[in-house]
Amino acid sequence: MTIVSTCCPFGLSNVTKCINFVQIKEAKTMVKYNFKKITVVPNGKQFVDIVLSRTQRQTPTVVHKGDRICKLRSFYMRKVKFTESNFNEKLSAIIDEFPRLKEIQPFYEDLLHVLYNKDHYKLALGQVNTAKNKISKIAMDYVKLLKHGDSLYRCKCLKVAALGRMCTVMKGIGPSLAYLEQVRQHIARLPSIDPNTRTLLICGCPNVGKSSFMNKVTRADVAVQPYAFTTKSLFLGHTDYKCLRYQVIDTPGLLDREIEDRNIIELCSITALAHIRAAVLFFLDISGSCGYTIAQQASLFHNIKSVFKNKPLVIVCNKTDLMPMENLSEEDRKLIEEMKDEAMKTEMGASEEAVILEMSTLTEEGVMSRLLDQRVAAKMKSKKIGDHLNRFHVAMPKSRDDQERLPCIPQVAGEKEKRKTEKDLEDENGGAGVYSASLKKNYILAKEEWKDDIIPEICDCHNVADFVDSDILNRLEELTSEESLRKAEEEEVGFEIEGEELTEKEKNDLAAIRKKKALLIEESRLKKSNAQNRAAVPRKFDKDKKFTRKRMGRELSSLGLDPSSALNRARSKSRGRKRERYDDLSNDAMDVDVNDDEQHKKKKMCLRSKSRSLSRSRSVSRPPHEVVPGEGFKDSSQKIKAIKIGHKSHRKRDKAARRGEADRVIPSLKPKHLFSGKRGNGKNQRR
Amino acid sequence: MATRLQYDNNNCEIGVFSKLTNAYCLVSATSASANFFTGYESKLKGVIPIVTTSIGGSGTIGSLCVGNKNGLLLSHTITDQELQHLRDSLPDEVVVQRIEEPICALGNAIACNDYVALVHPKLEKDTEEIISDVLGVEVYRQTIANNELVGSYCSLSNNGGMVHSNTNVEEMVELANLVQVPLVAGTVNRGSQVISAGLTVNDWTAFCGSDTTAVELSVVNNIFKLVQSQPDFVGSEMRKSLIDTYV
Repeated sequence: MTIVSTCCPFGLSNVTKCINFVQIKEAKTMVKYNFKKITVVPNGKQFVDIVLSRTQRQTPTVVHKGDRICKLRSFYMRKVKFTESNFNEKLSAIIDEFPRLKEIQPFYEDLLHVLYNKDHYKLALGQVNTAKNKISKIAMDYVKLLKHGDSLYRCKCLKVAALGRMCTVMKGIGPSLAYLEQVRQHIARLPSIDPNTRTLLICGCPNVGKSSFMNKVTRADVAVQPYAFTTKSLFLGHTDYKCLRYQVIDTPGLLDREIEDRNIIELCSITALAHIRAAVLFFLDISGSCGYTIAQQASLFHNIKSVFKNKPLVIVCNKTDLMPMENLSEEDRKLIEEMKDEAMKTEMGASEEAVILEMSTLTEEGVMSRLLDQRVAAKMKSKKIGDHLNRFHVAMPKSRDDQERLPCIPQVAGEKEKRKTEKDLEDENGGAGVYSASLKKNYILAKEEWKDDIIPEICDCHNVADFVDSDILNRLEELTSEESLRKAEEEEVGFEIEGEELTEKEKNDLAAIRKKKALLIEESRLKKSNAQNRAAVPRKFDKDKKFTRKRMGRELSSLGLDPSSALNRARSKSRGRKRERYDDLSNDAMDVDVNDDEQHKKKKMCLRSKSRSLSRSRSVSRPPHEVVPGEGFKDSSQKIKAIKIGHKSHRKRDKAARRGEADRVIPSLKPKHLFSGKRGNGKNQRR
Repeated sequence: MATRLQYDNNNCEIGVFSKLTNAYCLVSATSASANFFTGYESKLKGVIPIVTTSIGGSGTIGSLCVGNKNGLLLSHTITDQELQHLRDSLPDEVVVQRIEEPICALGNAIACNDYVALVHPKLEKDTEEIISDVLGVEVYRQTIANNELVGSYCSLSNNGGMVHSNTNVEEMVELANLVQVPLVAGTVNRGSQVISAGLTVNDWTAFCGSDTTAVELSVVNNIFKLVQSQPDFVGSEMRKSLIDTYV
């Protein structure tokens, strides 16, 4: 809306404003007809059950007489409002879903009027609307009364009265709801006729063969019987002509009487004839086997000719197998000529052959092309044609050079061979999802067995495709030729030189060198494998017996020193050890002269010494305090002290019968549950 | 005669999942069943090789490659295994080459037959030379109805071509002189203007989406000379049908 305000231009004391409302008219939108989606309409009793059970299930149901009065009031007001909103919602849905007769296409408006009577239809919907308004008013009144309720009993009575009155209103519109349900069921079965598309409409007297024609030109299956009024409603089929789709409407038969006397079945036909822009096929049974003479059929034609205006009209002479056109009487022929003259008046310029058709020589060309011509002529006059002129033009090229550009069609293209397709293989091998076709079976390769070769993608961490060389065969030929040339040259040179052979001495030397090398490698590996578990030992203990006199001499010589004095000193030390042993034996002999007690004591010492010597030589067992080289002890006294300290650290653990430090037990020091008896009549706090 | 096809689950954009030339046919390998492949196989088996493949793991091969009887250009997203598979499957006369072009949807950027190619105006100069060498065509930079994606809004063979339905008459004449074949403005798949997505054609057969109407199918049959027809078929035998459909 636009508000335009104007003021008085002279500035008088009584200034008045004039306001003009300019209302912008909104364009009406096209309504799509889908009558099959209207919701089922319950009858009055079902309606009450649906809404009341919903109120019972979706609102609170528990209230107490001792509650506050405001809570009691709101409890029952909520029930009344909920019920009213449910009724309102469902009744509004009915009113909205049913088509409004003034807003839909005139064809459907008249068709619904013929089938269901416009007045009854509007009255039914009006009563539904009235019921909706009544229920809203009832709810408002009782909510007001409930706001002044003073006890639970009174509030409950008011709620019951409100719901009861709503149900009474719904019972009152039961007949209207039943009528609307019947309308809904029937309207859902109507064919989906598009009044604006290309249409053929078949009409005529009953039993002239309209439905047979329908079944022949379309894929519809209308019932065909040899008596009148087999077809009682409109039927719809589709057919193609010149790549365009046409709908074909079969109508019930028409009788020759006034418009007021026609029944519902005939009025369906009249409605379709009046409102659909279609090519009309008026069927004429010239054999008379339908039960009506040609005169009666001609009278019907003249009766309804006003609805044929501005439509292509074709008179179809049917059943010519029973009565050829040549055998017609002169009077009947004259009647047909009159009908032809009337038909030509409806569309100026129509040729004479296009108005009359015989069924045995029926050609679809005449009928549909006339309809197409009319539609094209109408569209050529409109302005929209200018937007699409490029669609009706084929751009032909002009030659710009001498080069020929011929199509490339292989010779085999025209041949038809039956081959097993991939779909057949799929069906044989388990169907989709199971069958997996081999992508390699159609390879075009030099050798057939190369198809199944597996080419790796990655080799030694490199992409194989990066090293593929398409010229590799040529390079291979070059290399082989070079190789053969070099081989020929080498053979010539080879005759002059003989191969060398090793002598026996050299072979032995080589073997000795390899053996020594292997020993060194083995020794190194052994040392390496044991390195982590072995302690570092001072050099003087010489565990491996590697420090010999020869080695000392060799090393001193390499340093440029004279090793003879060092070697002699080492040898004298060794000889001195032997002399000490001999002296011990002499001491034993001298002790015989001492007295008995001293002699016995010394004897014990001598035996111990002998025992020590024997164990040293045999190495069978030794006392625990004897120091073995490599243990890390200075002398036996130090070792004895260490053993004593170790025993002392174990004493506490051994006394507790433990195997080691990991053998631990943490007992429960205060197991109260073992020292407590059952509880008596006293306190329970102890637990 | 043109054949109606559909890809999996009622997908009518069959030109996106296949590529048809005079020397070979490529079909998408990502189809769940063999129905789509058999649609091509029933017409082309024994005549030209039909290769099942993907490009970079994608089944939309019609948008990622461009080819004719002389060669096949593939986008840089193709893997080495797929490239080798294509080389093994196609005849030796067909040059299979990967191309390093930023506009990697080559099927949307280039429209070609065996002699002429229309390319996207922003294509690189090197790419233009490669197209000329590999496909053996003359290359022209063009737009169609002010759209730079010439490969999407145009479909060419050596007998005819179809362009975007909003192309005006002067532009059509200019394009026809470039490609030296008759051109018509049309649609496929019930009014879709993306011609090559719903139509794939060579010199003796064509395939279009299952939504294509009978009028659109007639235009395809006549312009690509798949049936016997007059040169000016839209002005004579099909004029009334076209007027009644489009206006």
